[in-house]
Amino acid sequence: MIGSQKTLRIIYAAALQQVMEKCLEQFSIQNPGLKFEMNGVGSREGAKRLLSGEEYDIIALADQALFAELLVPNLVEDYFVFAADQIVIGYNHSSRGSKEITQENWVDTLLKPQVGFARSDHHLVPRGYRTLMVWQLAELFYDRPGLYSTMEAACIPYSTYPKSLDLSSALFQGKVDYAFLYSSEAKQLGLPYIVLPSKINLSNPAYAKFYDQASVTVESKIPGKNVIIHGNPIEFAIGLAKDSQHLELAQSFVDLLTGPEGSSTIEECGLIPC
Amino acid sequence: MNEEKVSESELTIPIERSIQAELLLLLGQRPSHGYELIQRLNEADFKSGEADAATVYRNLRRMDKEGFIKSHWEVGESGPGRRLYKLTPQGEASLKVWAKYIAQQKVTLENFLQAYLQFEASLTEREEGAT
Repeated sequence: MIGSQKTLRIIYAAALQQVMEKCLEQFSIQNPGLKFEMNGVGSREGAKRLLSGEEYDIIALADQALFAELLVPNLVEDYFVFAADQIVIGYNHSSRGSKEITQENWVDTLLKPQVGFARSDHHLVPRGYRTLMVWQLAELFYDRPGLYSTMEAACIPYSTYPKSLDLSSALFQGKVDYAFLYSSEAKQLGLPYIVLPSKINLSNPAYAKFYDQASVTVESKIPGKNVIIHGNPIEFAIGLAKDSQHLELAQSFVDLLTGPEGSSTIEECGLIPC
Repeated sequence: MNEEKVSESELTIPIERSIQAELLLLLGQRPSHGYELIQRLNEADFKSGEADAATVYRNLRRMDKEGFIKSHWEVGESGPGRRLYKLTPQGEASLKVWAKYIAQQKVTLENFLQAYLQFEASLTEREEGAT
């Protein structure tokens, strides 16, 4: 029995909302009386919150590379890859061109003047910079010079729907015709989606070198300075804060997430357990 | 080694599960985590098609559950920790069964090709006879 005064603080990528809620439900049964503070955020934003001094016990981010870039070794010692995903193009049944769009013609469909498509903010969430990487890789894959710039110019400004939830909701409500999402998000929302070729959708480690050709400039941990990040296969990771007051409990939660029960939950939520 | 399980696999090996044989062989060569296995599998000249992450991880989980491989979390020295997979004695036995099955398939396919070549030669002879 856990003392009722203990509160486990978890900060996680908003894309993991459903996974975290389900795991927490299981964890609460095993630890009655334990309190939780859950914070779903953009992963870059979340890592920066830790850097600014906010205290958490567990950190789960949508890009494993963020741990090495921002948190290790000062705030987190070890971190583990626990899930993978891919970028897809989500749409709804009233999206313009939705009856014709395919894996082959998605570029031309999105670039039609009457069609509106959107992406998240690359400074806040990995899904934002990964979308830009997908466009760069599409330019190479389809041999269409200038495609990246064309997509960027045609896209609804990223500040309109900066975070994952903003964008998913806008798509769900029909405010945009298409949005670049993780396949797990589209599955969770019950939205139809176009699967992109694996050479550009950032899903397959076999294409890691090809993905690495894509790069995006984002705000670094030093205010006013930028950092260039390169494309890599999409992997979610989790770590414990070094200064956690509840290390044992936090480790138990990570064990649950990375164990058989967690794997089933991750799979139910549309991600690939690693 | 679980003889019963191995002989069951021998009777029920569907060809679409050949990715399991490929993964068992790679793990027999050396323990690996999923990320590395996907890369090694796609580089292998015996792969049966493009191996995507979902298929590889799903088969690894299945084989882990069935006891053909075992896994544990390994802390990364300079990167993230990952689940490391190793072949078990049961997995080694299963790999032997796979090799036997593939050898049988090879003989069958060679026999088919030989029969086809004879058929092709007879067609040519018939066409030449007609002219």
